[in-house]
Amino acid sequence: MAETFPINIWINEERFNALKNAGLADLLKEELAGMKVLIVPCTASQRDKILELYPMAKFDAATTKSIELLPKAVKDQIYNLVVEKKSMEVMDEFIKSVAKS
Amino acid sequence: MEMIGHGGKPLVEQVITDKDQARKVIKDLKTMPVSRQMATEAIGIAYGFFSPIEGFMKKADVEATCKKMELADGTVWSIPIVYDISDQEIADYKIQQGDKILLTYDGNPLAIFDIEEIYTYDKEGMAQDVYGTKEEKHPGVKRTYAYKDKFLGGKITLVNEPKIREPFTSYFLTPRQHRELFTKKGWQRIVAHQTRNVPHSGHEWLMKHAYIAAHGDLPVEQQETLEGRAISGVLVNCIVGEKRTGDYIDEAIVLCQDELRKSGYFRNDIHMVTMTFWDMRYAGPREAVHHAIIRTNLGLTHHMFGRDHAGVGTYYHSYQAHHLLMSIPKEKLNITPIYVLEWAYCPHCGEVTCVGLCGHHKELQKFSGTKIRSIIMDEVKPTRLIFRPEVFDVVMECSKKYGFGSPFVTTQYLEQAKPAFSIEPL
Repeated sequence: MAETFPINIWINEERFNALKNAGLADLLKEELAGMKVLIVPCTASQRDKILELYPMAKFDAATTKSIELLPKAVKDQIYNLVVEKKSMEVMDEFIKSVAKS
Repeated sequence: MEMIGHGGKPLVEQVITDKDQARKVIKDLKTMPVSRQMATEAIGIAYGFFSPIEGFMKKADVEATCKKMELADGTVWSIPIVYDISDQEIADYKIQQGDKILLTYDGNPLAIFDIEEIYTYDKEGMAQDVYGTKEEKHPGVKRTYAYKDKFLGGKITLVNEPKIREPFTSYFLTPRQHRELFTKKGWQRIVAHQTRNVPHSGHEWLMKHAYIAAHGDLPVEQQETLEGRAISGVLVNCIVGEKRTGDYIDEAIVLCQDELRKSGYFRNDIHMVTMTFWDMRYAGPREAVHHAIIRTNLGLTHHMFGRDHAGVGTYYHSYQAHHLLMSIPKEKLNITPIYVLEWAYCPHCGEVTCVGLCGHHKELQKFSGTKIRSIIMDEVKPTRLIFRPEVFDVVMECSKKYGFGSPFVTTQYLEQAKPAFSIEPL
């Protein structure tokens, strides 16, 4: 299986409760002593596209191999897509929607 | 008392503190304005942060630095400290070899620059030698390529000391002041933690690890258990300099590091925070050597080096800095490196642990500074094992007070934040 590079969307209590009520709490992972996180996978080409679209973001090649420092508003859009689709496979659709606008 | 700095040479101090004398010596000198970066490096040279360098480097020193990682006299040196200038500026300011020029900052006198040499240098070669790459996407290489076509070398004498603004005022100490304070505290062993980050628990444990390692050979009776009687300490020396969007703002870095002591995660008498003006070059191993030199000049005995010290992207191996430091003969670097592995969270142990100690390798959760910044950007409060709540509160306060609503450098911060220092009229 090809390597994927995650976008970590950290979840506060309010969002956690909302996800739980929508039956989506299973999508969450627990990390770093009890923090809840949605780990949205990107392929290598999706990762490159995201870094191109959002130059302020950073690929942490050295430690976590994740895409970090995306603005909160961007992550909010990805989060909304995950909730709407009830799936983590949303990055193609997200990139298309951003490219259109 | 003469203080000895890097290379076993006297600590450089070229500062005229008497204002009347300063006004007298600068009278009738030609003037030339300098950028923030050149001003901070002139200040650094004059106070001795870069001892034994007495001025901006001449060609022989640059060449030896690039090719052999030493000064022309054989002292270990890893990063060129240069003053670049264009032909147009040389003509405009009528600069000639042998001149004494008054450098000004914000329109006020800063330092006298003895122009001992005007020279050219192959910038591509400099980039390759110092950074190990010619790729312009490396920030240090980009900086090198942006140098103007000529360089000026010669001695610097500060004639007007910088005024450090709040909240940095009490955190800026010269090398002499560092050493005087260590003597007052009775510290005999001092380990440096180099940082440009707000601390998460991984950083905190790196410091604790280094502190313990620096003590390892002392009798336990000398590892004082009573507060106020420590004979050694951790110096967190924050690098304050050029910022990029997404970095933590300097105010948050300095104040949050200090919060670890204020909130008792370190004892009052074993932990201290100061700052050094320096624009990071991200030169990885060579920058690690440079940090060791600066901290030697501050009077420290030990320096902690972790994973990816001062690196960027994937230009350097995780522990390449360690290997370069190990290759330098002990007598050439008067500070003892402490090499540390990273610390991570282990859900099985339920604690932050050294990756070299914990047997639950597959369960370890690494928490890079970048990842923690992402958590804060998502406006989520990290758990206390990962990020101390008191530190989080200070981050948020700094965001409001100094960061225009963000603890991270934004375009607005770059445009509107006041520099950490000013040069007042003499």
